[in-house]
Amino acid sequence: MDVQTLTYLIVGFTFALYIGIAIWSRAGSTKEFYVAGGGVHPVVNGMATAADWMSAASFISLAGIVSFVGFDGSVYLMGWTGGYVLLALCMAPYLRKFGKFTVPDFIGDRYYSQAARTVAVVCAIFICFTYIAGQMRGVGVVFSRFLEVDVETGVYIGMAVVFFYAVLGGMKGITYTQVAQYCVLIFAFMVPAIFISVMMTGHILPQIGFGAELVDAAGNGTGTYLLDKLDGLSNELGFAQYTEGSKSTIDVFFITGALMFGTAGLPHVIVRFFTVPKVKDSRSSAGWALVFIAIMYTTIPALAAFSRVNMIETINGPDSTGVAYETAPQWIKNWEKTGLIKWDDKNADGKIYYAKGPENEMKIDRDIMVLATPEIADLPAWVIALVAAGGLAAALSTSAGLLLVISTSVSHDLLKKNLMPDISDKKELMFARIAAAAGIVMAGYFGINPPGFVAAVVAIAFGLAASSLFPAIVMGIFSKTINKEGAIAGMITGLGFTAAYIIYFKFMNPGDNNPANWFLGVSPEGIGMLGMLINFAVAFGVSKVTAKVPDSVQEMVEGIRFPKGSGGAQSH
Amino acid sequence: MLASFWLKMRLRKQLLKCKHVTLQRYLEALNRVLNLNVNDVELVALDLEMTGLDPQVDQILSIGIVPISHGQLQMQQAEHKLIKIDGSVGQSATIHGILDHHLEDAVSIEEAIEWLLEQTQGKFIVAHHAPLDIRFLQVQFQKIYNENVKLPVIDTLMIERNRLLKQHETLQDGALRLGASRARYNLPVYNAHNALIDALACGELLLAQIQAISTQGQVKIADIAKLT
Amino acid sequence: MDASELQPVLDFLKSLVPFDDLSEQTLLQCCKRLTIGYYGKAQGYVPLDADNPQLYIVRSGAFEVTDPDGELIDRLGEGDYFGFPSLLSGEVNTRVHILEDALVYHLDLESFDDLRKESRLFDRFFNRAYAKRMRHQGRFKAKELTTTSRIRTLMSSSPLTIDMQSTILQAAQLMRQARVSSVLVIDNHKLAGILTDRDLRNRVLAEGLDGALPVHQAMTTTPITVHPNTIVFEAMLLMSEHSIHHLPVVEEDKAVGVITSTDILRGQSSQPLLLIGEIERQKDLPSLINVSKQIPLLLQNLISADARAEEIGRILTSVTDALTRRLIHLNQQVLGEAPMPFCWLSFGSQGRQDQAACSDQDNGLLLAHEPDEHAKAYFEALTKAVCAGLNECGYVYCPGDIMAQNPQWCMSLEKWQGVFEQWVMSPQPKALMHASIFFDMRSVYGPISLFDALQDRVLANTKGNDIFLAGLAGNALSEAPPLGFFRKFVLERDGSEVKGIDLKHRGSALINDIARVYSLFAGIKEVNTAKRIRVLMEMNIINRKDALNLADAHEFIGHMRLANQGHQFTHDQACTNYLLPQNLSSLVRHQLRDAFKVVHDAQSGMKLKFTRTF
Repeated sequence: MDVQTLTYLIVGFTFALYIGIAIWSRAGSTKEFYVAGGGVHPVVNGMATAADWMSAASFISLAGIVSFVGFDGSVYLMGWTGGYVLLALCMAPYLRKFGKFTVPDFIGDRYYSQAARTVAVVCAIFICFTYIAGQMRGVGVVFSRFLEVDVETGVYIGMAVVFFYAVLGGMKGITYTQVAQYCVLIFAFMVPAIFISVMMTGHILPQIGFGAELVDAAGNGTGTYLLDKLDGLSNELGFAQYTEGSKSTIDVFFITGALMFGTAGLPHVIVRFFTVPKVKDSRSSAGWALVFIAIMYTTIPALAAFSRVNMIETINGPDSTGVAYETAPQWIKNWEKTGLIKWDDKNADGKIYYAKGPENEMKIDRDIMVLATPEIADLPAWVIALVAAGGLAAALSTSAGLLLVISTSVSHDLLKKNLMPDISDKKELMFARIAAAAGIVMAGYFGINPPGFVAAVVAIAFGLAASSLFPAIVMGIFSKTINKEGAIAGMITGLGFTAAYIIYFKFMNPGDNNPANWFLGVSPEGIGMLGMLINFAVAFGVSKVTAKVPDSVQEMVEGIRFPKGSGGAQSH
Repeated sequence: MLASFWLKMRLRKQLLKCKHVTLQRYLEALNRVLNLNVNDVELVALDLEMTGLDPQVDQILSIGIVPISHGQLQMQQAEHKLIKIDGSVGQSATIHGILDHHLEDAVSIEEAIEWLLEQTQGKFIVAHHAPLDIRFLQVQFQKIYNENVKLPVIDTLMIERNRLLKQHETLQDGALRLGASRARYNLPVYNAHNALIDALACGELLLAQIQAISTQGQVKIADIAKLT
Repeated sequence: MDASELQPVLDFLKSLVPFDDLSEQTLLQCCKRLTIGYYGKAQGYVPLDADNPQLYIVRSGAFEVTDPDGELIDRLGEGDYFGFPSLLSGEVNTRVHILEDALVYHLDLESFDDLRKESRLFDRFFNRAYAKRMRHQGRFKAKELTTTSRIRTLMSSSPLTIDMQSTILQAAQLMRQARVSSVLVIDNHKLAGILTDRDLRNRVLAEGLDGALPVHQAMTTTPITVHPNTIVFEAMLLMSEHSIHHLPVVEEDKAVGVITSTDILRGQSSQPLLLIGEIERQKDLPSLINVSKQIPLLLQNLISADARAEEIGRILTSVTDALTRRLIHLNQQVLGEAPMPFCWLSFGSQGRQDQAACSDQDNGLLLAHEPDEHAKAYFEALTKAVCAGLNECGYVYCPGDIMAQNPQWCMSLEKWQGVFEQWVMSPQPKALMHASIFFDMRSVYGPISLFDALQDRVLANTKGNDIFLAGLAGNALSEAPPLGFFRKFVLERDGSEVKGIDLKHRGSALINDIARVYSLFAGIKEVNTAKRIRVLMEMNIINRKDALNLADAHEFIGHMRLANQGHQFTHDQACTNYLLPQNLSSLVRHQLRDAFKVVHDAQSGMKLKFTRTF
């Protein structure tokens, strides 16, 4: 069976699995859980959270970025993991006590202002749009490769699939469907990683293989360590050393910060912490989610290194002078069809060659890295198909969550609560669906014309979240003095500054997008952190000169942090 | 009024004529209640099954009676007697359905007549086409008591004929038969036939007729009874 | 005489239910005990004799059975019976009109009783027929049933009114002239107050007020009013609640009439209130048990009277409330006065005023403060006795043990508040299950301030607590209305029985759930579902159209459920919530489908608002 048939089969099977689970859990099994008094086990919920969390960016693009830029790519790993911990431990428990289900509702209540709520809603929608655009790009890459179409068509197909999944299907938001998605996703990610690790280093665990010495085909150690070899290759080809960063320290700091604080302000993830009834359970399921996320995140650097070595070796050949195009490995030809790999025979020697600098003849899109790895390593066809299914699982679970935030925010928070308070349930639902469709269409546009790679686009979303919602939430919980004027002004300036900076460098003047022109040397990916600081500053400043926070709200804030009496609000 | 006076006179005459004490007592009992309303008098619906239609030659096979009191048929006292005959039931079995072997436990005609007079003491006999049944009885009275008496009886056929004629209806063949008469009063069709069922059917017909007549006032016994 | 001789009579009886259940021998005996009568149309009525009751078996002809007022109860033809109510009750309370000349078989009391002893089926048949007859009688009577009729039918229209600036003297003269006990005081065409005999006595005479003063100084300002469409029963409750005797009737801000307790008494022949009155008069448990036997019949009468499901629920609940209060009172006579104030709480359907047939008890006890040993013993004795009493009166023990006699649900105010807060703050599956019962709570007995202290606190916790509400909504969404693809009904088995539509769990309960989620969200004190929806509509929390649709669906499904139970009762089937769709006309199916569609839409709306998914 060829790869394409296998892909259809495996993707079809996983979808059947999700639908099957959805039907099964609809048919009263949830009730049985209730009767048993069990609820959802934290481990199970942890897996579901992990599936929500790990987007197409994590699955498809992160390893690619790390693979191409080396050490600099690790900011994503650090930022996202750190953000998760921040969210799970420092913010979720307080928000939970406040009893609000969505971030805009929290902000609206805490800052006793409909305007604040509306600003928060707009921020949330803006962030989600950006985030989902990254997902669409990822889905497009998957489809384009496995249906052998160009990436644009791939995005269109992806849009249709995501739309039906999110708007019509009853599969989303069901814990056990997400558990299945996590299983598919992690299996799809780990299998090729383990295969390659065994092939190249003899170690089953890629995490260990990452730091181990390479073995030859017979399984004997060669005495060369993987990372040394990679550094050597990079040097040879003119790239920066793989294990050395090229970004300035301040930029790394800011990007990590933006990712971290942005994560903590992401609207669709916070909700996950409220679906667990007990505070205690929600903590332990957050812990489990971290474990499940870590399985993948710790594999990413290893996988990136393996595929980098493999890629360079298969393109440039054993003597590092390139191989003839006719004898080039199959994966290059497969990916050429998608337009994500281009070969330009500059020296007309009929050989492909990959290096940094003018002699480079290959243009390789980073986002293909994870998907192409099994092919590069010549793994069996079913592994390749499995990776496609995993990529889809990652994209679907995240984009469904994001679309829900967009559509319900538009229909309920914007329309019902602000513009047309008297609409019927049916209309509200219809507007929600329309908003979801519009969200997909816009995301699709950015998926086809991306301002950056998947992970970079997503990073922008995090930057926006960090600069707008995160400060409002943190100040809402930990400060009694920030009033509504301060919060609103902070959100608007934070978001405005960050968005303007990104739009300038990414869309208006992409040519100027280099460290020399950056403000304080901070890249657009990291500017969210600066936006956040500005937000804090503006909020404090404005609050100082405007009316005091009402006593009732101050009491409320007090109550969040210090539960009063024996009320039993903690855990029972 | 006149009819009742006439009936009384004639019954008185019968009483005077009659010598046998049993029959005398029998007639006397009837005479006492002649003035009463029909619903206050005890009646007995009667039917006989015979081997043929000639009273002189043919014999009574069975007697069915259903007493009527307070305007209701009393099934409790309804009875059916089979009577021994000389010879075989012959072809008549096709009509009444009584076969020779049915008659094995039957009573003699003398016992039957005695029983009948006892049962009908003080009660007016009701029958459909009464003259025929009465004629058969009278033959037996002659034989047993050596008396030729007429009895005051109520003939539902007669009542029906008078009613129909009063309504200026021309009588069609069979219009006065028991079944046809009953149908006019919304009475059910009885499929089986024996002396008891026919007595019952006749009694029900009488009740219906009384209801119909009584719309013009109370019905006195003398209005409908005839000395036969 | 052998069987063959009366064959036609025998055959006829044999063709009749329930005579077909009798042995040949018994039937023959039965035939022999018949008397046969003929009833001519001209006779008019069958003379029924209470001293000599008989079973009348129609052999031919036709009859109409009416109640003494001439209202039709039944039409009879060949093979039908009448006279059995007298045989069973010894009373004659029907008239039998002869429509067509008829031949009738009679069976006397003695024979009838023998047959009842002989055959259980025979006995059941006539008992059921009797019950049905009673109901039919009820149906025609119930049209005038005061409790379910509207104020409009009893109130005095064109009420006596007087301007606000008139003097007290003028008002008194006007009242004397019109010989009424009250006058409505009008200010600028609007009702400003009411002046009653009692006001004149208490506020004018007793206070030595000058008759020349304007009337508004003596009147009752902003009196309690009712709408002409209020059911009389509710007006009566209002009157007794506030111990007043006059209620101005107001429609669209204009006073259109007055209803007095005398008006109501005059029109009264009503059962529910009589029943409640009777309950309040009983002196011991056995007599209460006896009185409560009438409750199923009351329900049947209300059903056949086509009363609104909402009203039936409210009326039946009032009876339960009265029974509960009486039991508490009787037991307190034995146990002595309570050591502290307490409230008897009712939950679930009784809380929602939504009771129907086969209700069990869901209740609890709210104590003013933490009880000491002595108080604990007192309340244990009291609750055990009351719960046992309710059980014996037909409200069986709660299978989930949610009862006041369970120490877990007999707590001080502070503990109750804590329990509710825990449920709200940590909405685990079990807490959400409890929510559907406990959050529909009402105080049946006890100081209202104590109950308010609990409810206010609970609502303060739930109001705007989106995480709790999301859990509650999610729980309410675990069941969907029974509509499948192409809007086909989804049928389920209830244990052994044939498949049917579960009207309760997939209909009424879903609407109750939806109303509860919204009410807790808005902090509405009301617990009755219909009232909740109304308030939510007024507060503009549910769109007007959606709210009206939902209220209609609630009423329609509730009505179908009650009618179905009435049908089951008549046919001696077990009382369930399962409706067999094949028994429905296509119109009713269509309506039912629409009602379920409304529930489905409301669920989708709730899902979107509270769980942020769709």
